[in-house]
Amino acid sequence: MDKKEITQKGLGLERYYQEREWFNFLCQMLAQDPSETSQLSKEITEITVSRYDEIIRCAEEGKPFIMGYFCAAPEIYEALDLPWYMIMATPFLAASAPYLLEDIDAAERMGLGTDWCTACRLTLYYIESGLTPKPNALIALIHPCDAATMLHQAVYRNKRWRDVPIFAMDPPYFEDQRGIDYYAGELKRMVAFLEEHTGRKLDIDRLREICLESNKQYELWLEYAQLRRAVPCPHGWAVGGPQCFAITQVFQAGRPRGTAWMRKLVDHTEKMVKEKKGPVAKERIRYFWFDLLPFGWVFEFLPWLEEEWGAVMVMDMFGYTPYTLIDTRNEDTMLKGIAKRNLYESPMVRQARGIADYFASDITRVVKDYKIDCVIWPGHMGHKDGSASTGIMREVCRDLGVPYIHIGLDLFDKRYTTPEQCKDKISQFFTAMGLG
Amino acid sequence: MESSERKLTGVTIKEAASKGENKAEAKVKREAKAKSKPLQEFQEATQTLANPALQDWKKQGGKVIGCYCSYVPEEVITAAGFVPFRMRGTGSTSTELADACLSSINCSFSRHSLDMGLRGEYSFLDGVVWVNSCDHVRRIYDHWKRKIVTPYLHFLSLPKKTTDVQVGWYRDEITTFKESLEKHFGTPITEERLWEAIRLHNETRRLQRQLYELRKRKSPPITGAETLAVMVAGSAMPREHYNQLLKKMLDELGRTDGHANYRARLMLIGGILDDPAYIEVIESQGGLVVTDSLCYGSRIMWKDVNEKASDAITALARYYIADRPHCPRMFDRQLDRSAFVMDMIRQFKVDGVISERLMFCDNWTGEAFMVGEDLKEKGIPYIRLDREYILTGIGQLRTRIQAFLETMER
Amino acid sequence: MIVGGCDVGSATGKAVVMKDSTIASYTIIPSTTRPEVTARVAMDEAIKRSGLSSLGDLQYIVGTGYGRLKVPFANENISEITCHARGAYWLLPTVRTVLDIGGQDCKAMSLDDKGKVIDFVLNDKCAAGTGRFFEAMARVLDCGLEGLSSLSLQSKSPATITSQCSVFAESEVITLVNEGTELVDIAAGLHNAIANRLHSMLRRIGLVEDVALTGGCAKNEGLVKALEEKLGVSVRKLPEDPQIVGAIGAALIAKERLSRQS
Repeated sequence: MDKKEITQKGLGLERYYQEREWFNFLCQMLAQDPSETSQLSKEITEITVSRYDEIIRCAEEGKPFIMGYFCAAPEIYEALDLPWYMIMATPFLAASAPYLLEDIDAAERMGLGTDWCTACRLTLYYIESGLTPKPNALIALIHPCDAATMLHQAVYRNKRWRDVPIFAMDPPYFEDQRGIDYYAGELKRMVAFLEEHTGRKLDIDRLREICLESNKQYELWLEYAQLRRAVPCPHGWAVGGPQCFAITQVFQAGRPRGTAWMRKLVDHTEKMVKEKKGPVAKERIRYFWFDLLPFGWVFEFLPWLEEEWGAVMVMDMFGYTPYTLIDTRNEDTMLKGIAKRNLYESPMVRQARGIADYFASDITRVVKDYKIDCVIWPGHMGHKDGSASTGIMREVCRDLGVPYIHIGLDLFDKRYTTPEQCKDKISQFFTAMGLG
Repeated sequence: MESSERKLTGVTIKEAASKGENKAEAKVKREAKAKSKPLQEFQEATQTLANPALQDWKKQGGKVIGCYCSYVPEEVITAAGFVPFRMRGTGSTSTELADACLSSINCSFSRHSLDMGLRGEYSFLDGVVWVNSCDHVRRIYDHWKRKIVTPYLHFLSLPKKTTDVQVGWYRDEITTFKESLEKHFGTPITEERLWEAIRLHNETRRLQRQLYELRKRKSPPITGAETLAVMVAGSAMPREHYNQLLKKMLDELGRTDGHANYRARLMLIGGILDDPAYIEVIESQGGLVVTDSLCYGSRIMWKDVNEKASDAITALARYYIADRPHCPRMFDRQLDRSAFVMDMIRQFKVDGVISERLMFCDNWTGEAFMVGEDLKEKGIPYIRLDREYILTGIGQLRTRIQAFLETMER
Repeated sequence: MIVGGCDVGSATGKAVVMKDSTIASYTIIPSTTRPEVTARVAMDEAIKRSGLSSLGDLQYIVGTGYGRLKVPFANENISEITCHARGAYWLLPTVRTVLDIGGQDCKAMSLDDKGKVIDFVLNDKCAAGTGRFFEAMARVLDCGLEGLSSLSLQSKSPATITSQCSVFAESEVITLVNEGTELVDIAAGLHNAIANRLHSMLRRIGLVEDVALTGGCAKNEGLVKALEEKLGVSVRKLPEDPQIVGAIGAALIAKERLSRQS
């Protein structure tokens, strides 16, 4: 089938083709730089491309694939040998593209309102406009926030997707064994749902393989995280954190190629630490960016922080790794381990889904372990519960003697608070706090 | 220009509306009738936090437990011998203290209510109970427990789905809640007391449904604003006292002439609207609100707890999770919710639907959109409104409603 | 039939006298601080101009606009949404989308083929897209409203102004001036920014041709041009002063009410 045919067939792959092209191009660029950092980035870009390939192929050839989430048990999708993707990936796909702002405006025209998370609005828009491939089954996310719950209700209702079987795992609010057991029960039900709608069958040994491999990946991540404690920090925003997250929880959950990548990352970073190298010539400020990266305009802001202020993102929300290893003894221990990891350890879900305590305790842990000079709560307009915790975060930072700033921005729409405005705010903050 | 400051009596709105009204404007004639005493008491209860009946209760040594959200199982509180009190931010004039805890992208209800808490205006409460209703209100708990000294705080984990599994989960949550109340206050909550409480609350629901039945008439004897006052009052005073008053009022209404001169029959859908003045502004343009789907409206009383079930706590869990008309936070029931709205439209012969939501409320952004799709499909006139918790922008609200009503004519 | 329509806005008061189906006269006056005074002065002036002698000569009067509740001599008041739509449709029966850009608010209305309003969206919360915005900018650039418009028409490469809030846009403009950006380009940039804002508002209700502008800002050629470029459609000019469309609509409704009575 050529592209035109595919478009006409309404497979919703246009954006995916565009992004695959872009990432292929990026690979070629990175291939020209022999440095280890670039080689690592090149490989993760290749991995990204291969994941696009997988979904595109399934959609084109009518093979089963599902929609899921990084925190709704990728271990299980992999064990069921089900190619999977996130519908929320589509907004992230557009993040570096010129059509992002148009798409956001189009979402507004749909009548979706403008004060809820842009990522969610965009997701719904992409579905409505046929720019997301339709899966055989959909695992909906109904936490950590109201927006996720609303999004998936609207996805289900959408006329195009009304025939897609949908299942959501119900989350417990508190963190205890009872919650884990309950969620493990939901996982079981999810497995039954997936088996019914995809024809796959969960093999416990295969699940064990995935979990063991995944555990290896997390062990490596813990090693890597230790290395980032070094002064100077070996990497900034461009390497590590979100990449590790992408490998271990999205693109290569439990897959050996992912483990190999993590191994290479650790080896390379050990060298950097030995040579006391980092992303800037002189590291002046070590900051904790407590959210996703501002994907819509990252190049207009984060590199500037490094160049202008010698400010290095030593840790971010998606790079923070308090993960425990899954006990692979039997199905029960595995499901509980998976439940625990997906509920309480997955980034953002961990902090946002329940009481606000992790906002405070994660900051405390990170500030101490990583010798953080200041904490930035970006204040994405979609994080209602997170911004509602700002008072708690501010106080914990005061107790720690660390400056705290709440910016207030949109990770996708740079018009909400422009990069220039952010630079002003941050500069004033750094200056006032005597940083850098 | 517009008479803007809303005083707590609500009288100022009426005055302003009538001053601005010229002879042709008033479409809903308010009969000069002797003001119903129960209605008066209900309306007064919406203008303060602790109304006189509640204050009397406290003076006699009675206890009051605050509840954030209608999903808190109030019957358990009643069974303990206490009065459940739905949390409102009535009378709040600022959010300064809360703004240091929450942020400018949090809804004004959460900011006003937390502010009142920080200012000590809820000191008449003996305890407060939450469920994880929404991203804003659940964070009130996080700040409250750190900053406000209250003898008893509790939080129930409310599911987001409504299958039997979740009924079972919530059953356990309610049990834990009951046990914690018993432990803290030293009051035993027996099965028998739970059933008594269930019957008492069901009685309230039956009476409230009777009230709504009257609004099905061509000339409803009560406005939407008055109805909201009745419903809000039900959440703020000792239940037996309320039920008595409501019975009396229903008697009186049976003998009252109805409102006949209205332009359209309206349905209001939305969240925690607790301010009758908001509906007064809507009705000042000549539309009559005859029914609703609101947190202080039909959703909390359209169904009863099953009195024939074998155990009380399971009956409660099933009522709150599965049976009762649902709130948008429940993931698997959107089609039922739309169907409920359609059914109300049919039963009450509704001409147009108004949805309201607080700014920054994700739950109602979604629902207003989704229900709107269904209304559009059926060709039912519909307008979406945003508001702040404390009534402002009366002129702007009026304009929109007036224009909406105008589009419905012809 | 002799009827009157009175549109009391925040910036201007407009009155129209209609005799049967023709406009006998109209006035546009700057608003005073008291709407009832504005209404009276405008209406009296229009009555005089039409050759009538007093208010009593009008058989039915409809008030509209921001101050519509304070028009004591009106028989009835109707929202400006309905009035602008009605007036625009009477002037141009092919109109299906009306964009009213007033002194303090702006609104978009979508009409069916009978001129009935089927949807509307109102921006009355901020100055973006209103006369107030342009006044503020004209002050900053010290060029007057007319000047702002004609400057913008001369630009070949409009500056990009990202703020739609008039407060922030002001600082952006000052920065641009200091950086040496040409005034014509700044003026054009401002018009484009507002056109963007209006475009979003319009798209919310669906853009269907013909499109017409009403309200004082409709006379701003620069804005019309910016809008046409942004919307990708031509804006149809109405055969009367766009500022009085609301008052015309009010008068038309007055006529209707009168017919119904007899």
